[in-house]
Amino acid sequence: MDNKKNRDKNWLNLIVLIGGFIPLLLLGWSALQGNLGFNPVQTVMQRTGNLGMIFLILSLSCTPINKIFKLPAVGRLRKPLGLFAALYAFLHFAAFAIWDYQLNLGLIWNEIRTKPFIIFGAIALVILLILAATSFKSLQRKMGKTWVWLHRLVYVAGVLVVVHYLLSIKGDLFNLQGDFALPIIAMVIVSLLLMVRIPAFYQFLRHWFVKE
Amino acid sequence: MDRKQIRSVPIRPEEITPKHIYQSRRQFLKNMGFVGMGALLASCAPGLTPPDELPTGLPTDFRTDNMNNLLTSYDAITGYCNFYEFTTDKETVDEKAQDFVTSPWSVAVTGLVENPRIFTMEEILEAYEQEERIYRMRCVEGWSMVIPWMGFPLQKLLEDVRPTSEAKFVLFESALVPGQMDNANSDLFPFPYLEGLRLDEAMHDLTILATGLYNEPLPPQNGAPIRLVVPWKYGFKSIKSIVRISLVPDQPPTLWNTIAPNEYGFYANVNPDVDHPRWSQATERRIGDAGRIPTLFMNGYAEEVMPLYEGMDLEENF
Ligand code: HEM
Repeated sequence: MDNKKNRDKNWLNLIVLIGGFIPLLLLGWSALQGNLGFNPVQTVMQRTGNLGMIFLILSLSCTPINKIFKLPAVGRLRKPLGLFAALYAFLHFAAFAIWDYQLNLGLIWNEIRTKPFIIFGAIALVILLILAATSFKSLQRKMGKTWVWLHRLVYVAGVLVVVHYLLSIKGDLFNLQGDFALPIIAMVIVSLLLMVRIPAFYQFLRHWFVKE
Repeated sequence: MDRKQIRSVPIRPEEITPKHIYQSRRQFLKNMGFVGMGALLASCAPGLTPPDELPTGLPTDFRTDNMNNLLTSYDAITGYCNFYEFTTDKETVDEKAQDFVTSPWSVAVTGLVENPRIFTMEEILEAYEQEERIYRMRCVEGWSMVIPWMGFPLQKLLEDVRPTSEAKFVLFESALVPGQMDNANSDLFPFPYLEGLRLDEAMHDLTILATGLYNEPLPPQNGAPIRLVVPWKYGFKSIKSIVRISLVPDQPPTLWNTIAPNEYGFYANVNPDVDHPRWSQATERRIGDAGRIPTLFMNGYAEEVMPLYEGMDLEENF
């Protein structure tokens, strides 16, 4: 019994590990092939941005899935998935700062300062990096309650990233003039994941999915 | 003097025959001799077929604009553009627009003019000598290109229809053809695409109606068969696939200015000092080059166009 559980866990970990690096390999491969389109900086920014957000959403879904379906093996995946979110978010920022702005600190600071959507992204990035840096088991034990509180910031990061995405789209969000389909889908998913934290809603879901 | 006005003259689908000839990219490269070169190479290495396309980013020829900037490649100009009636994806718009029927085509010139008129494309090409203009194109999204247009000054056409003294602005309207444009019926944008210029801007010598690029007829994604090019303004002012030009007394509503007036001004002059909430207007990415370059005031055409704006606060009227 215990052995089987461990095997399941290892399998899942392996899948996440492979699934996490494949998009990076594909990106590197496209780059080597010169296959990143006519505006490669933008292609890389959009791909890494989307990957960061997708891994963040996947990471955020682990705990609810575990709680509702009683799948602790899935619950434990929030850490590796969250680390991939931080990795892609960092690459996203690196493309911006190093490739696009060639480390011109004045210009970079000006962008962060004056573009609201970048401010939201920057705060999200700082949160993800802090959480990644404090994700070690040993540190978690040492920090105790503080760690739990600190790592709740992942929900804040989720919201900030969705706002970042929404504001990065050309158009008028409030009158739905523009290409808002994908960021709105992301917003709905993140909102659901937040709502699952509301006890009443969570009870309802449990009742619905797990007929006890 | 005959002052009767022509009312709306939409192009009905049944007026359009599915026969339009524009040269494909492949054909174009063939003309330029690249496939010939490929064939030559291939003949030395049996089994190799000539490459279908040039690597991206290579200038297709080595000419420059008036500031020694190399031309952007034909592939990039025709493979990376915004034409939201087809799709919001800049890199697939060439495929999505491929079957857009651009012949026959006519442009109605109406409103406050003494000689309102419907021009067929043939009449336009016949009446106005096409000349090459190599212009920088700066998109509000922070990227830019250097494009060799074929076209003629809008001024010539306007002089022929004789704007009346009440005419103060020029309103342009793009084609909107639901069967051929995937987003034509989308609620996400208030199509048809409208753009406008002040009459003196429209009469400026730099303002052209373009009918071709790189010596070829415009491909659909670049606004075939006829589009506006106003090189000192952000690209969205340079409206594509024009079916109507009206002279009007007041500043007309325009698409992006209607959607988000705080982000897209009516004038939309390229101005590194007027920031945008989303993209840097101080710097730009030149497609085909790495990194960013400073954006020039009026896209580098200040000397020519500043007389238009004497006494105007350009940060207020952005
Ligand atoms: C300082 C930090 C950040 C900066 C400077 C930044 C910058 C940008 C920029 C410039 C764009 C627009 C790209 C374009 O369409 O040309 C963008 C889009 C985006 N960013 Fe960020 N970002 C940051 C943090 C983040 C983080 C932490 C995430 C998620 C984990 C993220 C996810 C996204 C997504 C999903 C998009 C939309 C991509 C698309 O349009 O498909 N960003 N970001």
